[in-house]
Amino acid sequence: MTVLVYGGSGSGKSAYAEQTACKLAGDGPLYYLATMRVYGAEGREKVKRHRRMRAGKGFRTLECGDGLTPVLRETGGTAVLLECLSNLTANLMFPGDAEEPKTAAAVAAEITEQVLLLAERAAHLVVVTNNVFEDGNVYDSGTMEYIRALSGVNRNLAERADIVVEIVAGIPVFLKGAGL
Amino acid sequence: MRLILGGRAQGKRAYVQNTYKIRAEEFRAGETEAFEELREQRAFDSFHLWVRRKYEEGAEVMELTKRLLAANPDCIILCDEVGCGIVPLEHAEREYRELVGRVQILLAERAVSVERIICGISQKIK
Repeated sequence: MTVLVYGGSGSGKSAYAEQTACKLAGDGPLYYLATMRVYGAEGREKVKRHRRMRAGKGFRTLECGDGLTPVLRETGGTAVLLECLSNLTANLMFPGDAEEPKTAAAVAAEITEQVLLLAERAAHLVVVTNNVFEDGNVYDSGTMEYIRALSGVNRNLAERADIVVEIVAGIPVFLKGAGL
Repeated sequence: MRLILGGRAQGKRAYVQNTYKIRAEEFRAGETEAFEELREQRAFDSFHLWVRRKYEEGAEVMELTKRLLAANPDCIILCDEVGCGIVPLEHAEREYRELVGRVQILLAERAVSVERIICGISQKIK
Protein backbone atom coordinates (compact mmCIF):
# COMPACT_ATOMS: atom_id res chain seq x y z
CA MET A 1 0.00 0.00 0.00
CA THR A 2 1.30 3.47 -0.92
CA VAL A 3 -0.18 6.59 0.65
CA LEU A 4 0.64 10.15 -0.45
CA VAL A 5 -0.04 12.80 2.20
CA TYR A 6 -0.32 16.38 0.87
CA GLY A 7 -0.83 19.69 2.64
CA GLY A 8 0.40 23.20 3.44
CA SER A 9 2.67 24.38 6.25
CA GLY A 10 1.32 23.60 9.71
CA SER A 11 -1.61 21.62 8.31
CA GLY A 12 -0.95 18.56 10.51
CA LYS A 13 0.25 16.33 7.69
CA SER A 14 3.19 14.89 9.67
CA ALA A 15 0.94 13.73 12.51
CA TYR A 16 -1.50 12.15 10.07
CA ALA A 17 1.30 10.44 8.13
CA GLU A 18 2.78 9.02 11.34
CA GLN A 19 -0.56 7.60 12.44
CA THR A 20 -1.07 6.02 9.04
CA ALA A 21 2.44 4.52 8.97
CA CYS A 22 1.97 3.07 12.48
CA LYS A 23 -1.36 1.53 11.45
CA LEU A 24 0.16 -0.01 8.34
CA ALA A 25 3.20 -1.33 10.22
CA GLY A 26 1.14 -3.16 12.84
CA ASP A 27 3.72 -5.03 14.91
CA GLY A 28 6.26 -5.07 12.08
CA PRO A 29 9.35 -2.88 11.63
CA LEU A 30 8.81 0.80 10.89
CA TYR A 31 11.31 3.17 9.32
CA TYR A 32 11.36 6.95 9.21
CA LEU A 33 13.30 8.38 6.29
CA ALA A 34 14.41 11.92 7.15
CA THR A 35 15.33 14.31 4.35
CA MET A 36 15.89 17.68 5.96
CA ARG A 37 19.32 19.26 5.86
CA VAL A 38 19.46 20.95 9.20
CA TYR A 39 20.55 24.60 9.22
CA GLY A 40 20.55 26.80 12.30
CA ALA A 41 18.42 26.87 15.42
CA GLU A 42 15.05 26.81 13.63
CA GLY A 43 16.00 23.65 11.74
CA ARG A 44 17.20 21.98 14.91
CA GLU A 45 13.99 22.99 16.69
CA LYS A 46 11.89 21.47 13.90
CA VAL A 47 13.85 18.22 14.05
CA LYS A 48 13.37 18.16 17.83
CA ARG A 49 9.62 18.73 17.54
CA HIS A 50 9.24 15.93 14.97
CA ARG A 51 11.40 13.60 17.11
CA ARG A 52 9.19 14.29 20.12
CA MET A 53 6.13 13.49 18.01
CA ARG A 54 7.66 10.18 16.89
CA ALA A 55 9.05 9.20 20.28
CA GLY A 56 7.77 5.88 21.58
CA LYS A 57 6.10 4.94 18.29
CA GLY A 58 8.80 2.52 17.22
CA PHE A 59 10.33 4.40 14.28
CA ARG A 60 13.91 3.71 13.26
CA THR A 61 15.30 6.85 11.64
CA LEU A 62 17.52 6.83 8.55
CA GLU A 63 18.95 9.99 7.02
CA CYS A 64 18.15 10.21 3.31
CA GLY A 65 18.79 13.84 2.43
CA ASP A 66 20.82 12.92 -0.66
CA GLY A 67 18.55 10.23 -2.04
CA LEU A 68 16.86 6.94 -1.25
CA THR A 69 19.13 4.47 -3.01
CA PRO A 70 21.34 3.74 0.05
CA VAL A 71 18.37 2.65 2.20
CA LEU A 72 16.48 0.45 -0.27
CA ARG A 73 17.95 -2.77 1.03
CA GLU A 74 17.42 -2.07 4.74
CA THR A 75 13.79 -0.94 4.32
CA GLY A 76 12.78 -3.84 2.09
CA GLY A 77 9.64 -5.60 3.35
CA THR A 78 8.98 -3.02 6.11
CA ALA A 79 6.63 -0.09 6.64
CA VAL A 80 8.28 3.21 5.68
CA LEU A 81 7.43 6.85 6.28
CA LEU A 82 9.28 9.21 3.92
CA GLU A 83 9.20 12.86 5.00
CA CYS A 84 9.23 14.82 2.81
CA LEU A 85 9.43 15.25 -0.96
CA SER A 86 9.79 19.03 -0.81
CA ASN A 87 13.12 18.70 1.01
CA LEU A 88 14.31 15.84 -1.13
CA THR A 89 13.47 17.79 -4.28
CA ALA A 90 15.31 20.88 -3.02
CA ASN A 91 18.33 18.80 -1.99
CA LEU A 92 18.65 17.08 -5.35
CA MET A 93 17.91 20.21 -7.34
CA PHE A 94 20.33 22.51 -5.52
CA PRO A 95 23.04 20.07 -4.40
CA GLY A 96 25.71 22.63 -3.51
CA ASP A 97 27.39 25.88 -4.51
CA ALA A 98 29.78 24.25 -6.94
CA GLU A 99 27.21 22.36 -9.00
CA GLU A 100 24.71 23.69 -11.51
CA PRO A 101 21.07 23.24 -10.51
CA LYS A 102 19.42 20.37 -12.37
CA THR A 103 16.30 20.82 -14.48
CA ALA A 104 12.82 20.17 -13.10
CA ALA A 105 12.28 17.28 -15.49
CA ALA A 106 15.53 15.58 -14.50
CA VAL A 107 14.88 15.94 -10.76
CA ALA A 108 11.27 14.82 -11.05
CA ALA A 109 12.29 11.73 -13.01
CA GLU A 110 15.11 10.88 -10.58
CA ILE A 111 12.96 11.19 -7.44
CA THR A 112 9.98 9.43 -8.98
CA GLU A 113 12.17 6.47 -9.90
CA GLN A 114 13.67 6.27 -6.40
CA VAL A 115 10.33 6.53 -4.60
CA LEU A 116 8.67 3.95 -6.86
CA LEU A 117 11.53 1.57 -6.21
CA LEU A 118 11.16 2.18 -2.48
CA ALA A 119 7.41 1.55 -2.74
CA GLU A 120 7.95 -1.64 -4.67
CA ARG A 121 10.38 -3.09 -2.13
CA ALA A 122 8.73 -1.86 1.08
CA ALA A 123 5.65 -3.56 2.50
CA HIS A 124 3.97 -0.17 2.92
CA LEU A 125 5.03 3.36 2.10
CA VAL A 126 3.65 6.65 3.38
CA VAL A 127 5.07 9.73 1.64
CA VAL A 128 4.67 13.30 2.90
CA THR A 129 4.69 16.11 0.37
CA ASN A 130 3.93 19.82 0.40
CA ASN A 131 1.46 22.10 -1.23
CA VAL A 132 3.69 25.01 -2.29
CA PHE A 133 1.57 25.86 -5.30
CA GLU A 134 -1.09 28.31 -4.19
CA ASP A 135 0.50 31.62 -3.23
CA GLY A 136 0.26 33.02 -6.77
CA ASN A 137 3.69 34.67 -6.50
CA VAL A 138 6.25 34.79 -9.29
CA TYR A 139 9.71 33.81 -8.07
CA ASP A 140 13.20 33.68 -9.55
CA SER A 141 13.74 31.07 -12.25
CA GLY A 142 15.37 28.57 -9.87
CA THR A 143 12.36 28.60 -7.54
CA MET A 144 9.91 28.37 -10.43
CA GLU A 145 11.83 25.36 -11.69
CA TYR A 146 11.70 23.86 -8.19
CA ILE A 147 7.90 24.30 -8.11
CA ARG A 148 7.65 22.46 -11.43
CA ALA A 149 9.92 19.67 -10.18
CA LEU A 150 7.92 19.09 -6.99
CA SER A 151 4.68 19.24 -8.93
CA GLY A 152 6.04 16.62 -11.32
CA VAL A 153 6.99 14.30 -8.47
CA ASN A 154 3.60 14.79 -6.78
CA ARG A 155 1.68 14.06 -9.96
CA ASN A 156 3.75 10.99 -10.83
CA LEU A 157 3.35 9.53 -7.36
CA ALA A 158 -0.34 10.43 -7.06
CA GLU A 159 -0.93 8.41 -10.21
CA ARG A 160 0.73 5.36 -8.65
CA ALA A 161 -0.45 5.74 -5.04
CA ASP A 162 -3.38 3.77 -3.63
CA ILE A 163 -4.44 6.68 -1.44
CA VAL A 164 -3.87 10.41 -1.91
CA VAL A 165 -5.01 12.55 1.00
CA GLU A 166 -4.88 16.29 1.58
CA ILE A 167 -4.68 17.44 5.19
CA VAL A 168 -6.65 20.62 5.97
CA ALA A 169 -6.50 21.93 9.56
CA GLY A 170 -5.65 18.40 10.69
CA ILE A 171 -8.62 16.88 8.81
CA PRO A 172 -8.00 14.31 6.06
CA VAL A 173 -9.68 15.11 2.74
CA PHE A 174 -9.36 12.14 0.38
CA LEU A 175 -8.45 12.95 -3.21
CA LYS A 176 -7.98 9.32 -4.23
CA GLY A 177 -9.01 6.17 -2.37
CA ALA A 178 -10.44 6.20 1.16
CA GLY A 179 -9.18 6.23 4.74
CA LEU A 180 -7.70 3.13 6.34
CA MET B 1 -18.24 27.17 16.92
CA ARG B 2 -18.10 26.73 13.18
CA LEU B 3 -14.85 27.08 11.23
CA ILE B 4 -14.80 28.44 7.68
CA LEU B 5 -11.51 28.05 5.79
CA GLY B 6 -10.40 28.91 2.28
CA GLY B 7 -7.97 30.82 0.13
CA ARG B 8 -8.14 34.54 -0.32
CA ALA B 9 -11.31 36.02 -1.85
CA GLN B 10 -13.16 32.72 -2.19
CA GLY B 11 -16.48 34.08 -0.96
CA LYS B 12 -16.26 33.03 2.69
CA ARG B 13 -18.05 36.09 4.08
CA ALA B 14 -20.86 36.00 1.50
CA TYR B 15 -21.33 32.29 2.18
CA VAL B 16 -21.59 32.87 5.93
CA GLN B 17 -23.99 35.80 5.47
CA ASN B 18 -26.32 33.73 3.32
CA THR B 19 -26.05 30.39 5.03
CA TYR B 20 -25.95 31.40 8.69
CA LYS B 21 -27.92 34.67 8.42
CA ILE B 22 -25.13 36.88 9.73
CA ARG B 23 -25.50 40.58 8.95
CA ALA B 24 -22.54 42.52 7.55
CA GLU B 25 -22.25 44.62 10.74
CA GLU B 26 -21.99 41.50 12.90
CA PHE B 27 -18.58 40.54 11.48
CA ARG B 28 -15.68 41.50 13.71
CA ALA B 29 -12.55 42.42 11.71
CA GLY B 30 -9.23 40.62 12.25
CA GLU B 31 -7.33 43.58 10.77
CA THR B 32 -8.23 45.93 13.61
CA GLU B 33 -10.32 44.49 16.43
CA ALA B 34 -9.21 43.02 19.76
CA PHE B 35 -10.92 39.63 19.36
CA GLU B 36 -9.53 38.49 22.70
CA GLU B 37 -11.58 41.11 24.55
CA LEU B 38 -14.92 40.41 22.85
CA ARG B 39 -17.73 38.24 24.20
CA GLU B 40 -20.78 36.56 22.71
CA GLN B 41 -19.96 37.58 19.16
CA ARG B 42 -21.44 35.79 16.17
CA ALA B 43 -18.67 36.05 13.56
CA PHE B 44 -14.92 36.69 13.50
CA ASP B 45 -13.63 37.56 10.04
CA SER B 46 -10.00 37.43 8.77
CA PHE B 47 -8.93 35.43 11.80
CA HIS B 48 -5.45 34.98 10.29
CA LEU B 49 -4.90 38.75 10.47
CA TRP B 50 -5.75 38.78 14.17
CA VAL B 51 -3.25 35.89 14.57
CA ARG B 52 -0.63 37.96 12.74
CA ARG B 53 -1.13 41.00 14.96
CA LYS B 54 -1.01 38.94 18.15
CA TYR B 55 2.06 37.05 16.90
CA GLU B 56 3.82 40.35 16.17
CA GLU B 57 2.98 41.55 19.71
CA GLY B 58 4.62 38.38 21.05
CA ALA B 59 1.33 37.15 22.59
CA GLU B 60 0.50 33.51 23.37
CA VAL B 61 -1.83 33.08 20.41
CA MET B 62 -2.95 29.54 21.25
CA GLU B 63 -3.95 30.58 24.78
CA LEU B 64 -5.74 33.70 23.54
CA THR B 65 -7.61 31.56 21.03
CA LYS B 66 -8.81 29.19 23.75
CA ARG B 67 -10.02 32.16 25.79
CA LEU B 68 -11.79 33.57 22.76
CA LEU B 69 -13.61 30.27 22.26
CA ALA B 70 -14.64 30.19 25.92
CA ALA B 71 -16.07 33.71 25.67
CA ASN B 72 -17.73 33.13 22.27
CA PRO B 73 -18.74 29.47 22.20
CA ASP B 74 -21.28 29.78 19.37
CA CYS B 75 -19.32 31.95 16.98
CA ILE B 76 -18.32 31.43 13.35
CA ILE B 77 -14.62 31.89 12.56
CA LEU B 78 -13.47 32.75 9.04
CA CYS B 79 -9.77 32.16 8.40
CA ASP B 80 -7.67 32.30 5.23
CA GLU B 81 -5.41 29.43 4.27
CA VAL B 82 -1.90 30.94 4.23
CA GLY B 83 0.39 27.89 4.27
CA CYS B 84 0.02 26.58 0.71
CA GLY B 85 2.88 28.43 -0.97
CA ILE B 86 6.65 28.52 -1.20
CA VAL B 87 8.14 28.61 2.29
CA PRO B 88 9.19 32.25 2.90
CA LEU B 89 12.83 33.23 3.41
CA GLU B 90 12.18 35.28 6.55
CA HIS B 91 12.00 33.42 9.83
CA ALA B 92 9.05 35.47 11.18
CA GLU B 93 7.01 34.82 8.02
CA ARG B 94 7.63 31.09 8.32
CA GLU B 95 6.68 31.10 11.98
CA TYR B 96 3.49 33.06 11.30
CA ARG B 97 2.34 30.61 8.60
CA GLU B 98 3.10 27.65 10.81
CA LEU B 99 1.23 29.30 13.69
CA VAL B 100 -1.90 29.93 11.58
CA GLY B 101 -1.84 26.22 10.68
CA ARG B 102 -1.54 25.16 14.33
CA VAL B 103 -4.34 27.52 15.38
CA GLN B 104 -6.54 26.14 12.59
CA ILE B 105 -5.95 22.60 13.86
CA LEU B 106 -7.00 23.66 17.36
CA LEU B 107 -10.11 25.39 16.00
CA ALA B 108 -10.99 22.41 13.79
CA GLU B 109 -10.75 20.03 16.76
CA ARG B 110 -13.20 22.12 18.75
CA ALA B 111 -15.54 23.08 15.92
CA VAL B 112 -18.93 21.46 15.39
CA SER B 113 -18.35 21.89 11.66
CA VAL B 114 -15.46 22.78 9.37
CA GLU B 115 -16.10 23.98 5.83
CA ARG B 116 -13.65 24.89 3.11
CA ILE B 117 -14.90 27.51 0.67
CA ILE B 118 -13.65 27.17 -2.91
CA CYS B 119 -15.12 29.45 -5.61
CA GLY B 120 -17.92 30.29 -3.19
CA ILE B 121 -18.85 26.62 -2.79
CA SER B 122 -18.69 24.97 0.61
CA GLN B 123 -16.91 21.64 0.99
CA LYS B 124 -17.87 20.28 4.39
CA ILE B 125 -14.87 18.45 5.83
CA LYS B 126 -16.14 18.02 9.39
